[in-house]
Amino acid sequence: MTIVPSLKFDSEHNIIEFDGALISLHCHHYNCGLLKTIEEISQIDGHAVIVETAAEQFFRSFRELLSKASKEMSPDQALQEASELYRFMGFGRLDLTELTARGGIAYGYSSYYVTSWLAKYGRRDTPVCYFTCGFIAGIVGAVFDVAPQTYDVKERQCMMLRHKRCEFVVTKKPNGD
Amino acid sequence: MAIDSRKIIELASGLPMASDEKGMIAAFGVYVVMNYNEFFFKLVSRIITMVDDAEAQAVEQKLYDAVLECGYHTFQGARSSMDWRDLILPMIKTPEDEIHALVAFTNMLGIGYIEVEELIPGKRLVTTVRNAYDPGRYLEEYGPQPRGRCYMFNACTASYMDLVYAAPYPNGMGTFTSKEVMCRSMGNPTCRFVAEIHQLT
Repeated sequence: MTIVPSLKFDSEHNIIEFDGALISLHCHHYNCGLLKTIEEISQIDGHAVIVETAAEQFFRSFRELLSKASKEMSPDQALQEASELYRFMGFGRLDLTELTARGGIAYGYSSYYVTSWLAKYGRRDTPVCYFTCGFIAGIVGAVFDVAPQTYDVKERQCMMLRHKRCEFVVTKKPNGD
Repeated sequence: MAIDSRKIIELASGLPMASDEKGMIAAFGVYVVMNYNEFFFKLVSRIITMVDDAEAQAVEQKLYDAVLECGYHTFQGARSSMDWRDLILPMIKTPEDEIHALVAFTNMLGIGYIEVEELIPGKRLVTTVRNAYDPGRYLEEYGPQPRGRCYMFNACTASYMDLVYAAPYPNGMGTFTSKEVMCRSMGNPTCRFVAEIHQLT
Protein backbone atom coordinates (compact mmCIF):
# COMPACT_ATOMS: atom_id res chain seq x y z
CA MET A 1 0.00 0.00 0.00
CA THR A 2 1.61 3.21 -1.16
CA ILE A 3 1.53 6.53 0.66
CA VAL A 4 1.15 8.37 -2.65
CA PRO A 5 -2.34 9.87 -2.38
CA SER A 6 -4.98 10.03 -5.06
CA LEU A 7 -5.91 13.21 -6.89
CA LYS A 8 -8.87 15.34 -5.88
CA PHE A 9 -10.37 17.20 -8.81
CA ASP A 10 -12.51 20.27 -8.11
CA SER A 11 -14.54 20.65 -11.28
CA GLU A 12 -16.03 23.99 -10.22
CA HIS A 13 -12.62 25.65 -10.22
CA ASN A 14 -10.52 23.36 -12.41
CA ILE A 15 -7.99 22.68 -9.72
CA ILE A 16 -6.42 19.37 -8.78
CA GLU A 17 -5.34 18.82 -5.21
CA PHE A 18 -2.60 16.36 -4.43
CA ASP A 19 -1.67 15.92 -0.82
CA GLY A 20 -2.81 19.45 -0.04
CA ALA A 21 -0.90 21.07 -2.90
CA LEU A 22 -2.15 22.06 -6.33
CA ILE A 23 -0.91 20.21 -9.35
CA SER A 24 -1.75 20.42 -13.03
CA LEU A 25 -1.38 18.34 -16.15
CA HIS A 26 0.98 19.43 -18.90
CA CYS A 27 1.95 17.86 -22.18
CA HIS A 28 5.38 17.23 -23.64
CA HIS A 29 5.10 20.12 -26.06
CA TYR A 30 5.04 22.50 -23.13
CA ASN A 31 7.54 20.74 -20.90
CA CYS A 32 10.08 20.31 -23.68
CA GLY A 33 9.45 23.83 -24.94
CA LEU A 34 10.04 25.15 -21.44
CA LEU A 35 13.29 23.20 -21.13
CA LYS A 36 14.47 24.36 -24.56
CA THR A 37 13.60 27.96 -23.74
CA ILE A 38 15.59 27.80 -20.51
CA GLU A 39 18.56 26.14 -22.21
CA GLU A 40 18.71 28.90 -24.80
CA ILE A 41 19.10 31.71 -22.26
CA SER A 42 22.74 32.67 -22.27
CA GLN A 43 22.58 34.97 -19.24
CA ILE A 44 21.93 32.23 -16.69
CA ASP A 45 22.78 28.66 -15.81
CA GLY A 46 19.34 27.37 -16.66
CA HIS A 47 20.12 23.76 -15.79
CA ALA A 48 21.08 24.81 -12.26
CA VAL A 49 17.80 26.69 -11.86
CA ILE A 50 15.81 23.64 -12.95
CA VAL A 51 17.70 21.35 -10.59
CA GLU A 52 17.43 23.73 -7.63
CA THR A 53 13.75 24.41 -8.16
CA ALA A 54 12.86 20.74 -8.52
CA ALA A 55 14.98 19.88 -5.49
CA GLU A 56 13.23 22.47 -3.32
CA GLN A 57 9.79 21.39 -4.52
CA PHE A 58 10.23 17.68 -3.96
CA PHE A 59 12.09 18.14 -0.70
CA ARG A 60 9.13 20.08 0.67
CA SER A 61 6.35 18.01 -0.84
CA PHE A 62 7.87 14.60 -0.14
CA ARG A 63 8.71 15.52 3.43
CA GLU A 64 5.08 16.55 3.84
CA LEU A 65 3.97 13.24 2.38
CA LEU A 66 6.23 11.28 4.72
CA SER A 67 4.99 13.20 7.73
CA LYS A 68 1.45 12.03 7.00
CA ALA A 69 2.34 8.36 6.66
CA SER A 70 0.51 6.18 9.13
CA LYS A 71 3.71 4.58 10.37
CA GLU A 72 7.32 5.64 10.38
CA MET A 73 9.22 4.43 7.36
CA SER A 74 12.75 3.22 6.94
CA PRO A 75 14.87 5.13 4.41
CA ASP A 76 14.59 2.18 2.04
CA GLN A 77 10.82 2.22 2.22
CA ALA A 78 10.72 5.97 1.80
CA LEU A 79 12.94 5.80 -1.29
CA GLN A 80 10.66 3.15 -2.74
CA GLU A 81 7.70 5.47 -2.18
CA ALA A 82 9.58 8.24 -3.94
CA SER A 83 10.04 6.00 -6.97
CA GLU A 84 6.33 5.33 -6.91
CA LEU A 85 5.60 9.06 -6.72
CA TYR A 86 7.87 9.63 -9.74
CA ARG A 87 6.07 6.90 -11.68
CA PHE A 88 2.62 8.07 -10.60
CA MET A 89 3.27 11.61 -11.82
CA GLY A 90 4.36 10.32 -15.22
CA PHE A 91 8.10 11.02 -15.04
CA GLY A 92 9.16 7.41 -15.69
CA ARG A 93 10.78 4.61 -13.72
CA LEU A 94 13.50 5.41 -11.23
CA ASP A 95 15.42 3.01 -9.00
CA LEU A 96 16.60 4.77 -5.84
CA THR A 97 17.38 1.64 -3.82
CA GLU A 98 21.16 2.10 -3.81
CA LEU A 99 21.03 5.55 -2.24
CA THR A 100 22.07 6.19 1.34
CA ALA A 101 22.64 9.31 3.41
CA ARG A 102 26.12 9.46 1.87
CA GLY A 103 24.75 9.44 -1.69
CA GLY A 104 25.16 6.71 -4.28
CA ILE A 105 23.77 5.99 -7.70
CA ALA A 106 20.19 6.12 -8.94
CA TYR A 107 19.06 4.50 -12.16
CA GLY A 108 16.40 5.60 -14.59
CA TYR A 109 14.82 2.89 -16.74
CA SER A 110 12.37 5.10 -18.52
CA SER A 111 12.39 8.86 -18.69
CA TYR A 112 9.63 11.31 -19.53
CA TYR A 113 12.11 13.88 -20.72
CA VAL A 114 14.01 11.44 -22.95
CA THR A 115 10.83 10.05 -24.49
CA SER A 116 9.25 13.47 -24.85
CA TRP A 117 12.29 15.20 -26.29
CA LEU A 118 12.73 12.43 -28.84
CA ALA A 119 9.08 12.74 -29.81
CA LYS A 120 9.23 16.51 -30.18
CA TYR A 121 12.72 17.43 -31.31
CA GLY A 122 14.51 14.15 -32.03
CA ARG A 123 17.82 12.99 -30.62
CA ARG A 124 20.31 15.36 -29.05
CA ASP A 125 23.86 14.74 -27.97
CA THR A 126 23.56 16.01 -24.39
CA PRO A 127 21.70 14.61 -21.37
CA VAL A 128 18.20 15.87 -20.78
CA CYS A 129 17.09 14.71 -17.32
CA TYR A 130 17.82 17.87 -15.32
CA PHE A 131 14.44 17.76 -13.64
CA THR A 132 15.21 14.25 -12.40
CA CYS A 133 18.52 15.42 -10.91
CA GLY A 134 16.56 17.95 -8.86
CA PHE A 135 13.90 15.41 -7.97
CA ILE A 136 16.54 13.05 -6.58
CA ALA A 137 18.32 15.80 -4.62
CA GLY A 138 15.04 16.83 -3.00
CA ILE A 139 13.98 13.29 -2.22
CA VAL A 140 17.30 12.31 -0.66
CA GLY A 141 17.21 15.46 1.44
CA ALA A 142 13.67 14.70 2.62
CA VAL A 143 14.42 11.04 3.40
CA PHE A 144 17.61 11.76 5.36
CA ASP A 145 16.30 14.99 6.86
CA VAL A 146 18.90 17.36 5.48
CA ALA A 147 18.55 20.37 3.19
CA PRO A 148 18.17 19.50 -0.50
CA GLN A 149 21.22 21.67 -1.25
CA THR A 150 23.28 19.08 0.64
CA TYR A 151 23.53 16.88 -2.41
CA ASP A 152 24.94 17.28 -5.86
CA VAL A 153 23.26 15.12 -8.48
CA LYS A 154 24.81 14.65 -11.91
CA GLU A 155 23.50 12.52 -14.75
CA ARG A 156 26.51 10.59 -16.00
CA GLN A 157 24.61 8.39 -18.44
CA CYS A 158 21.42 9.26 -20.27
CA MET A 159 19.22 7.18 -22.53
CA MET A 160 19.17 10.22 -24.80
CA LEU A 161 22.80 9.32 -25.58
CA ARG A 162 21.78 5.73 -26.35
CA HIS A 163 22.89 4.46 -22.95
CA LYS A 164 20.85 1.51 -21.67
CA ARG A 165 19.67 3.48 -18.69
CA CYS A 166 20.07 6.87 -17.13
CA GLU A 167 22.50 6.99 -14.22
CA PHE A 168 22.54 9.69 -11.61
CA VAL A 169 25.51 10.09 -9.30
CA VAL A 170 24.53 11.53 -5.94
CA THR A 171 27.33 12.99 -3.84
CA LYS A 172 27.46 15.16 -0.79
CA LYS A 173 28.73 18.63 -1.51
CA PRO A 174 31.99 19.54 0.24
CA ASN A 175 30.10 21.62 2.80
CA GLY A 176 27.18 19.19 2.96
CA ASP A 177 27.75 17.73 6.41
CA MET B 1 -25.49 26.78 -27.85
CA ALA B 2 -25.77 23.01 -27.55
CA ILE B 3 -22.67 22.54 -25.43
CA ASP B 4 -23.05 21.32 -21.87
CA SER B 5 -19.72 22.42 -20.43
CA ARG B 6 -20.29 20.76 -17.08
CA LYS B 7 -20.96 17.46 -18.78
CA ILE B 8 -17.79 17.75 -20.88
CA ILE B 9 -15.72 18.48 -17.80
CA GLU B 10 -17.21 15.48 -16.03
CA LEU B 11 -16.66 13.22 -19.03
CA ALA B 12 -13.11 14.40 -19.73
CA SER B 13 -11.98 14.35 -16.11
CA GLY B 14 -13.34 10.82 -15.80
CA LEU B 15 -11.23 9.44 -18.62
CA PRO B 16 -8.45 7.11 -17.50
CA MET B 17 -5.17 8.99 -17.29
CA ALA B 18 -2.86 6.78 -15.27
CA SER B 19 0.81 6.10 -15.80
CA ASP B 20 1.73 2.78 -17.38
CA GLU B 21 4.37 0.26 -16.27
CA LYS B 22 7.06 2.56 -17.65
CA GLY B 23 5.76 5.45 -15.63
CA MET B 24 4.48 7.26 -18.70
CA ILE B 25 1.09 8.87 -19.21
CA ALA B 26 0.11 8.94 -22.87
CA ALA B 27 -3.19 10.61 -23.66
CA PHE B 28 -4.66 12.42 -26.67
CA GLY B 29 -1.49 11.99 -28.69
CA VAL B 30 0.79 13.64 -26.13
CA TYR B 31 2.87 12.60 -23.14
CA VAL B 32 1.43 14.06 -19.97
CA VAL B 33 2.99 14.66 -16.59
CA MET B 34 1.48 16.04 -13.45
CA ASN B 35 3.59 18.53 -11.58
CA TYR B 36 3.15 21.05 -8.82
CA ASN B 37 1.83 24.45 -9.85
CA GLU B 38 4.31 25.94 -7.42
CA PHE B 39 7.18 24.25 -9.27
CA PHE B 40 6.20 25.84 -12.56
CA PHE B 41 5.64 29.21 -10.92
CA LYS B 42 9.02 29.18 -9.20
CA LEU B 43 10.90 27.94 -12.24
CA VAL B 44 9.47 30.48 -14.67
CA SER B 45 9.40 33.42 -12.25
CA ARG B 46 13.02 32.85 -11.26
CA ILE B 47 14.12 32.66 -14.86
CA ILE B 48 12.41 35.86 -15.97
CA THR B 49 13.57 37.80 -12.93
CA MET B 50 17.19 36.67 -13.36
CA VAL B 51 17.60 38.12 -16.84
CA ASP B 52 17.35 41.67 -18.20
CA ASP B 53 14.02 42.94 -19.47
CA ALA B 54 14.77 42.40 -23.16
CA GLU B 55 15.72 38.78 -22.50
CA ALA B 56 12.70 38.37 -20.22
CA GLN B 57 10.39 39.47 -23.01
CA ALA B 58 12.07 37.04 -25.41
CA VAL B 59 11.61 34.25 -22.86
CA GLU B 60 7.96 35.19 -22.39
CA GLN B 61 7.40 34.97 -26.14
CA LYS B 62 9.03 31.52 -26.23
CA LEU B 63 6.85 30.35 -23.36
CA TYR B 64 3.80 31.60 -25.24
CA ASP B 65 4.96 29.67 -28.30
CA ALA B 66 5.56 26.52 -26.24
CA VAL B 67 2.05 26.69 -24.81
CA LEU B 68 0.59 27.42 -28.24
CA GLU B 69 2.14 24.19 -29.52
CA CYS B 70 0.96 22.41 -26.40
CA GLY B 71 -2.63 23.61 -26.80
CA TYR B 72 -2.75 23.20 -30.57
CA HIS B 73 -1.52 19.60 -30.54
CA THR B 74 -3.20 18.47 -27.32
CA PHE B 75 -6.61 19.85 -28.22
CA GLN B 76 -6.30 18.39 -31.70
CA GLY B 77 -5.50 15.05 -30.06
CA ALA B 78 -8.57 15.42 -27.90
CA ARG B 79 -10.97 16.40 -30.70
CA SER B 80 -9.77 13.54 -32.92
CA SER B 81 -10.00 10.89 -30.17
CA MET B 82 -12.64 8.18 -30.03
CA ASP B 83 -13.79 9.48 -26.67
CA TRP B 84 -14.44 12.91 -28.16
CA ARG B 85 -16.23 11.38 -31.12
CA ASP B 86 -18.44 9.26 -28.87
CA LEU B 87 -19.13 11.60 -26.00
CA ILE B 88 -18.65 15.19 -27.08
CA LEU B 89 -19.07 15.42 -30.85
CA PRO B 90 -22.83 14.75 -30.65
CA MET B 91 -23.17 18.06 -28.78
CA ILE B 92 -21.28 20.04 -31.40
CA LYS B 93 -23.41 21.59 -34.15
CA THR B 94 -21.37 24.66 -35.08
CA PRO B 95 -17.73 25.83 -34.99
CA GLU B 96 -18.70 28.05 -32.07
CA ASP B 97 -19.88 24.97 -30.17
CA GLU B 98 -16.48 23.45 -30.74
CA ILE B 99 -14.76 26.49 -29.21
CA HIS B 100 -16.91 26.09 -26.11
CA ALA B 101 -16.20 22.35 -26.03
CA LEU B 102 -12.44 22.89 -26.20
CA VAL B 103 -12.61 25.48 -23.45
CA ALA B 104 -14.61 23.03 -21.33
CA PHE B 105 -12.07 20.32 -22.04
CA THR B 106 -9.31 22.65 -20.76
CA ASN B 107 -11.21 22.86 -17.51
CA MET B 108 -10.06 19.44 -16.42
CA LEU B 109 -6.31 20.09 -16.58
CA GLY B 110 -6.03 21.67 -13.15
CA ILE B 111 -4.78 25.04 -14.34
CA GLY B 112 -7.70 27.24 -13.21
CA TYR B 113 -11.16 27.82 -14.65
CA ILE B 114 -11.30 29.44 -18.08
CA GLU B 115 -14.54 30.88 -19.47
CA VAL B 116 -15.63 32.38 -22.76
CA GLU B 117 -16.61 36.01 -22.41
CA GLU B 118 -17.06 36.87 -26.08
CA LEU B 119 -16.85 34.96 -29.33
CA ILE B 120 -17.12 36.56 -32.76
CA PRO B 121 -17.00 33.62 -35.16
CA GLY B 122 -13.76 33.45 -37.07
CA LYS B 123 -12.56 36.78 -35.73
CA ARG B 124 -12.22 37.21 -32.00
CA LEU B 125 -12.33 35.21 -28.80
CA VAL B 126 -12.20 36.73 -25.34
CA THR B 127 -11.66 34.46 -22.35
CA THR B 128 -11.34 35.13 -18.66
CA VAL B 129 -9.84 33.29 -15.72
CA ARG B 130 -10.45 34.29 -12.13
CA ASN B 131 -8.34 31.75 -10.30
CA ALA B 132 -5.10 31.26 -12.23
CA TYR B 133 -2.39 30.13 -9.82
CA ASP B 134 0.55 32.23 -10.96
CA PRO B 135 -0.79 35.81 -10.73
CA GLY B 136 -1.41 35.62 -7.00
CA ARG B 137 1.99 34.10 -6.40
CA TYR B 138 3.69 36.83 -8.48
CA LEU B 139 1.98 39.46 -6.35
CA GLU B 140 3.09 37.70 -3.16
CA GLU B 141 6.67 37.14 -4.23
CA TYR B 142 7.47 40.04 -6.53
CA GLY B 143 4.67 42.63 -6.31
CA PRO B 144 2.71 44.04 -9.27
CA GLN B 145 3.94 42.91 -12.65
CA PRO B 146 4.56 45.01 -15.77
CA ARG B 147 3.04 42.39 -18.08
CA GLY B 148 0.57 39.56 -17.78
CA ARG B 149 1.97 36.28 -16.48
CA CYS B 150 -0.61 33.77 -17.67
CA TYR B 151 1.21 32.30 -20.67
CA MET B 152 -0.82 29.12 -20.40
CA PHE B 153 -4.25 30.67 -20.79
CA ASN B 154 -3.07 33.31 -23.22
CA ALA B 155 -1.73 30.86 -25.78
CA CYS B 156 -4.55 28.38 -25.20
CA THR B 157 -7.02 31.09 -26.18
CA ALA B 158 -5.24 31.50 -29.52
CA SER B 159 -4.99 27.75 -30.03
CA TYR B 160 -8.78 27.26 -29.81
CA MET B 161 -9.23 29.76 -32.65
CA ASP B 162 -6.36 28.26 -34.67
CA LEU B 163 -7.93 24.81 -34.49
CA VAL B 164 -11.50 25.80 -35.24
CA TYR B 165 -11.24 28.72 -37.68
CA ALA B 166 -7.78 28.57 -39.26
CA ALA B 167 -6.44 26.20 -41.92
CA PRO B 168 -7.01 22.53 -41.09
CA TYR B 169 -4.59 20.88 -38.68
CA PRO B 170 -1.59 20.97 -38.75
CA ASN B 171 -1.37 24.11 -40.88
CA GLY B 172 -3.31 26.65 -38.85
CA MET B 173 -1.13 27.24 -35.82
CA GLY B 174 -0.25 30.89 -35.30
CA THR B 175 -3.09 32.24 -37.43
CA PHE B 176 -4.51 33.86 -34.32
CA THR B 177 -2.55 35.71 -31.67
CA SER B 178 -3.73 36.27 -28.16
CA LYS B 179 -2.89 39.10 -25.81
CA GLU B 180 -3.36 39.09 -22.07
CA VAL B 181 -5.01 42.46 -21.67
CA MET B 182 -5.69 42.13 -17.95
CA CYS B 183 -3.91 40.06 -15.32
CA ARG B 184 -4.34 39.79 -11.58
CA SER B 185 -0.57 40.00 -11.31
CA MET B 186 -0.90 43.54 -12.73
CA GLY B 187 -3.53 44.46 -10.17
CA ASN B 188 -6.59 43.69 -12.29
CA PRO B 189 -9.49 41.81 -10.71
CA THR B 190 -9.38 39.02 -13.25
CA CYS B 191 -7.21 37.78 -16.13
CA ARG B 192 -8.52 38.42 -19.63
CA PHE B 193 -7.24 37.18 -22.98
CA VAL B 194 -8.14 38.40 -26.45
CA ALA B 195 -7.34 36.29 -29.51
CA GLU B 196 -7.60 37.84 -32.95
CA ILE B 197 -6.20 37.19 -36.41
CA HIS B 198 -2.46 37.62 -36.28
CA GLN B 199 -1.38 40.91 -37.85
CA LEU B 200 2.13 41.00 -39.23
CA THR B 201 3.95 44.07 -37.98
